Amino acid sequence: MIKLLGAAMVVASSGIGGMTVAGRYSRRPRELKSLGYALQMLETEISYGANQLKVALEQVANRCDKVVAPLFSRAAAELSAATGITAAAAWENSLCAYYRKSALNPQDLIILRSLGSSLGISDRADQVKHLNLAMEQIKSENTKAEDEAARNVKLWNHLGFLGGLLVVLILY
Amino acid sequence: MISADFINCKGDRYSAWAGNEILLVLPLNIRRMISTLPGQILDSVEEIRVRQGKPLLLGLSSGDIFVNPEGQPARQVGEAYHVTAADMENLIELISGSSLYALEEELRTGFITLPGGHRAGITGRAVLDGGKVRTLKNLSCCNLRVSREVTGAATGLLPHIVNKRNGSIYHTILVSPPRCGKTTMLRDIIRQISGGVPGLLYPGLTVGLVDERSEIAGCYRGVPQRDVGIRTDVLDGCPKAEGMMMLLRSMGPQVIAADEIGRREDVDAMEEVLNAGVKILLTAHGSTLAELAERPVLGRLIRSKMIERYVILSRSRGAGTVENIVDGKTFRAVAVGVRK
Repeated sequence: MIKLLGAAMVVASSGIGGMTVAGRYSRRPRELKSLGYALQMLETEISYGANQLKVALEQVANRCDKVVAPLFSRAAAELSAATGITAAAAWENSLCAYYRKSALNPQDLIILRSLGSSLGISDRADQVKHLNLAMEQIKSENTKAEDEAARNVKLWNHLGFLGGLLVVLILY
Repeated sequence: MISADFINCKGDRYSAWAGNEILLVLPLNIRRMISTLPGQILDSVEEIRVRQGKPLLLGLSSGDIFVNPEGQPARQVGEAYHVTAADMENLIELISGSSLYALEEELRTGFITLPGGHRAGITGRAVLDGGKVRTLKNLSCCNLRVSREVTGAATGLLPHIVNKRNGSIYHTILVSPPRCGKTTMLRDIIRQISGGVPGLLYPGLTVGLVDERSEIAGCYRGVPQRDVGIRTDVLDGCPKAEGMMMLLRSMGPQVIAADEIGRREDVDAMEEVLNAGVKILLTAHGSTLAELAERPVLGRLIRSKMIERYVILSRSRGAGTVENIVDGKTFRAVAVGVRK
């Protein structure tokens, strides 16, 4: 009986492990897609609304997918606090906090970090160029992420349970 | 508007400093230096000049002083804190609220109005487009001017510009060089004539204020943050010429007020107002009436004798000293050395 219980636990934990990895692969394209839309909104706020960056970030945070909203809302809050922080530093702080909980990979982090270093410090045309570049890069990462998800989600879902079963068979 | 609470100086002497909002746009190191300054110096700061690679300089009512890295007045230039390129970059970012893209028009005119009506003048390299300034880049010098609200600054002047016979004011222009308190005086005149002055002008007059640079009323999202009276309608951020015509048509003002006129279109719009039975209250740069008359556009206006009072301001006894009040028809002094 104890053996059976142990075997079930091994299969379950291994299965959950596999599902977690699969979950990361399936979450990343969704997050990248949401990020792309959010950056599109930010571009509109900057180019047509000519709103101050903190207002633009707040607006985006209110309207975008709630998965990526914390990135924009925290950056807006840091800028509003008027503690002498620059937009790049506010974005960086927000990005670090957001990245830890997100499904993004280091390549995505580089794109967003590079965008942050140019936020708010140049004229409208230049800001639009930087945002468009980031959107293009995110789009390209999203295509790759979707391919990876298509390949890996099923694989890891099955691998987790089957790996658990294999361990049970070997040990039984 | 930026919240001033974070400075955590509520209740101490800095919380009363007129330039508190300016502290919020200074990089942290410079902010610390300025807020460490002795109280009597801080109270008399009129401007903070930040130039890349040059000493940090404060313009006081009594003259200029340098500031050392410990936040004390420096005796020698060598002891003064020298502004770095990073300070300048930070300053520009904080002044613009990290939104340089939203300030293209302001950069074209060379200054940015800060919350509270303070003004940040900026210079750098001009980028031209068809011979006209499109924007500024490589920003390297900044002059932060503290805007002060002095309640009662215009009390001594009011009897000379109020026309008791018809219960209104004379067409008036305040004339002075920069830093003599023109805007402060204008704000207080507007406040008093709008609210009414018992025994002189009661009830008050409906004032239409065109605040092109947001310096007089210090509007935030269209709502005046400075006291400009109870019967004042403020058109914020609007070019003067257009604004005067808009107010004339839409708000039924008895007085139209604006700051720093000088362009041809301003004077054209002013003539329209003068002929529409509305009183005008304006300011212009110049140290004497003769100097003003030399300016091509304003000279024409002076010769037309449509303006009834010229108030000449100076700093001879501190900012806002009324040197002379001249009748615009006879060009004779109405009053000299009015008490503040």
